[in-house]
Amino acid sequence: MSGTISLESVSKQFPGGVLAVDDLSLEVEPGEFLVLVGPSGCGKTTALRMVAGLEPVTSGEIRINDRLVTRLPPRERDIAMVFQNYALYAHMSVRGNMGFGLKMARLPRQEIRSRVDGAAEMLGLTDLLDRKPRQLSGGQRQRVAMGRAIVREPAAFLMDEPLSNLDAKLRVEMRGEIIRVQRRIAAPALYVTHDQTEAMTMGDRVAILRDGVLQQLGTPDDVYDSPVNVFVAGFIGSPAMNLIPATLSSEAGDVAVSFGTTRLSVPARVLERRPRLAEFAGRPVTLGVRPEDFAPAERGDGLANVTVDRVESLGSELVVYLDGGVGEPLTARLARQATLEPGQQTQLAIDLNRLYFFDAESGEAI
Amino acid sequence: MTSIGWRIAKFLAVLVIVVWSLGPIAIGVTTSISTQREVNDIPTRWVPAHPTLNAYRDLLQGTSNQRAGGTVTEAGTFSRSLWNSTVLAIVSTAVILVVSTMAAYAFGRLRFRFGGALFAVLVGTIVIPIFVVVIALFKLMADAHLIDTKRGLVMVFVATLTPLATWLLYTQVREMPTEPEEAALIDGCRRWQAFVRVVVPQMSSGIAAVAAILVLSVWGEFLIPLLLTSTLTAKPVTVQITEYVGKYVTNYPILAAAGVLALIPPALLALILNKRITGMLAGSS
Amino acid sequence: MRRAKGDRTARETQILGWVLALPALATVAALILYPMVYGFKQSIRSGGFLFGEKPGYVGLRNYRDVIHDPTSQDAVRHTLEYLLLAVSLELVLGMFVAVTLHRVFRGRGFVLAVLILPWALPSVVSGVLWRRVFDPDNGLLNSLLLQLHVISHPHLWLASGRGAIVYITLVHVWGVLPLVSLIFLAGLQSIPEEVYSASSVDGAGPLRQFRHITLPLLRPSMAIALTVGTLLAISIFDEIYVLNGTALNTRSILIQVYNTTFVQADFAHGTALAFLLAGATAVFGGLYALALRRSTV
Repeated sequence: MSGTISLESVSKQFPGGVLAVDDLSLEVEPGEFLVLVGPSGCGKTTALRMVAGLEPVTSGEIRINDRLVTRLPPRERDIAMVFQNYALYAHMSVRGNMGFGLKMARLPRQEIRSRVDGAAEMLGLTDLLDRKPRQLSGGQRQRVAMGRAIVREPAAFLMDEPLSNLDAKLRVEMRGEIIRVQRRIAAPALYVTHDQTEAMTMGDRVAILRDGVLQQLGTPDDVYDSPVNVFVAGFIGSPAMNLIPATLSSEAGDVAVSFGTTRLSVPARVLERRPRLAEFAGRPVTLGVRPEDFAPAERGDGLANVTVDRVESLGSELVVYLDGGVGEPLTARLARQATLEPGQQTQLAIDLNRLYFFDAESGEAI
Repeated sequence: MTSIGWRIAKFLAVLVIVVWSLGPIAIGVTTSISTQREVNDIPTRWVPAHPTLNAYRDLLQGTSNQRAGGTVTEAGTFSRSLWNSTVLAIVSTAVILVVSTMAAYAFGRLRFRFGGALFAVLVGTIVIPIFVVVIALFKLMADAHLIDTKRGLVMVFVATLTPLATWLLYTQVREMPTEPEEAALIDGCRRWQAFVRVVVPQMSSGIAAVAAILVLSVWGEFLIPLLLTSTLTAKPVTVQITEYVGKYVTNYPILAAAGVLALIPPALLALILNKRITGMLAGSS
Repeated sequence: MRRAKGDRTARETQILGWVLALPALATVAALILYPMVYGFKQSIRSGGFLFGEKPGYVGLRNYRDVIHDPTSQDAVRHTLEYLLLAVSLELVLGMFVAVTLHRVFRGRGFVLAVLILPWALPSVVSGVLWRRVFDPDNGLLNSLLLQLHVISHPHLWLASGRGAIVYITLVHVWGVLPLVSLIFLAGLQSIPEEVYSASSVDGAGPLRQFRHITLPLLRPSMAIALTVGTLLAISIFDEIYVLNGTALNTRSILIQVYNTTFVQADFAHGTALAFLLAGATAVFGGLYALALRRSTV
């Protein structure tokens, strides 16, 4: 009995004219965990609040479980929401917090009790049911907020940056926990975050929003491997993709891309995949190279001339900052065996099959 | 050396503040347990040689003859005025809290037509000096047969103190996170249910501070009840107390006893809720 | 704002907003705004409306009468004296109290609790408590000064003009000082400690710090304290009534209003004087609001 959440050309204009969400359409499928991600101020929270009914919709329609809810008050939408700062009722016990929605729905006392007990068991809150929120740790409050959402057995889950107030370790732990709970409830979830790592690790699909406009919607692999534009390319992935101003040249069918003193010839397979690339010969493009697609020179392929600027060891690998003669520093992730010293001039291999190309003017992927 | 000098200076400064604040209260207490003769002695006695509660007895049970030295008291009079003050303070405060909490939430959270303008008018009345209103109120209340009734006084106190209370609670509403009430809306509440079940409990500590300030204000009101009451059906202690000030001679022990009894409730309230009151006064002025 | 028709949430908000705000608005409209307008109308008519006369419109005549009335002029002069004396005492003493109680020391909580007592007490009770101090026959002040041989015979403290005003102001200040001190204390608390550390490093002593850091940074608090102090002093009534009744030598404007209206039953002139005082209050309030804005920018 799991439903869907669908937004059809939803826009939000605030008084004063700011267009916070611009013609947003997306559908969360039954049981799906969809993450809405973007930098702060991109309109993702506004979009979520419109789905919740906390913010009036300027235009467009919202459906939950195929029911038109655009103009319904929040209480009639059959949704549950987890807030960034948990929004617990400070004057009620944990049990009171979790059962409040059921009480408002006038469920029999016995039913409320058993549902709250069940949810508390699932979240490991059984021993805390009589505490007040202020007696709980951040992680425990987070669980109560989750519990309050799931006892309702809603048609849809909405979550607004629920992990951003937790410390790093707890955040990783709760990611798994939230996914596990959502899988069990099997209701569609719309999850808002500014953290692309959260988006990539949690989402069945990821929707990337910028200035109120949907940039790309796809599985984490999709958006990582085939970003539709420079923005998505730079936003998804950590460390971020190197976006290098470069020129494309074509001599007798041989296409090459150059920046600084580096010249890389583009393999035929890449050209087949990107037929439009030939049209850009002689024009400036933005070349995208993921940090992990660099390798020590002996691994062959195209070689880039770089000067090592700084080396950071993460233990498992090295993050190397390079001067490639293009102004912006380049970032490379290399295995620990690589021996590089700051100031050293060297060559690094780039996986030519994994080059990304973007129109330097429009930023669109080529 | 300077540090010791500074510490002594500081100690003396603190001492001066304490004596200044408590001195008059102490004088009132010692006077109230003195006899009329001790007070009249020259040089006068600061602390009575034979402490007595006679002044309190005379005040509460009445003086049968003229030995009260110019001040005539009647049994039950003063206690009636204490009772009036208590009723007025509690009832007015309760009504003001209900009215102003609702208004503070409406103006602080709900966007409704003319809300901004009406709020400006409401808060603007804080600066209207009450005396330009009282004279006309006297006439209007007389027409409505509300002069010298507790009901009438409560109405006036509600009107004069609601704007201030609304302002104090409004600042609190604006500082409160909106999420809990939004969570309540999602949890199935109508807006008013969210207000009653989630917002009001959230505001409880601010409401307590405002309640204390209101009780103190109503208890201390003088000009309004002086004009709008004439008998003990409504006369509060502040007005009653002035009747013990003699035209030529004053019975200081009785006057002081009245003062002490009138200051106990507000003093206790101020001491108990001291932190909340100071926080609210310092924060919102 | 374009809002889709039939948005029930928005309509509910509209209705609830009105319902919740209405009791407050209705009370204030009926018992503050309406009486004010009613009172103003009486102040531009002749005669006392208390007796149901048919008074005629006289324009600003009542105002003119009041302004030219010597007793009222005295009352204005007295009020200005109360005002100047009270506000300057409050600012100086308030600063003294705040600076003394700013730093943490043992017993500070107790002192703060004691400090607000005079404010919490009814001003009538303050007057009662202080009355014995100034009593001409057997007051504590006379007694003390006689014993110390400062004076040779009892002094009639509340009878002489200037002196009486000073003593009444003292009682008034006793009740208002806690509020002013708290305002300054809050102001001091908001000055970051680093500012002082930095200036100590630069070699500034405590007095120069007070002069060059504390005072300038306290300007917003001073503006607030000045406003509060002025508004309370300009309408001084209770303390005078208890300590000296409606005696001419200590009559403030508000006592004069009371006397005109309720003792002489001349509502028209009483109301006119009250509105003049209200106007003066508004002018002071406006000036301070301007000063406050300037000092916080």
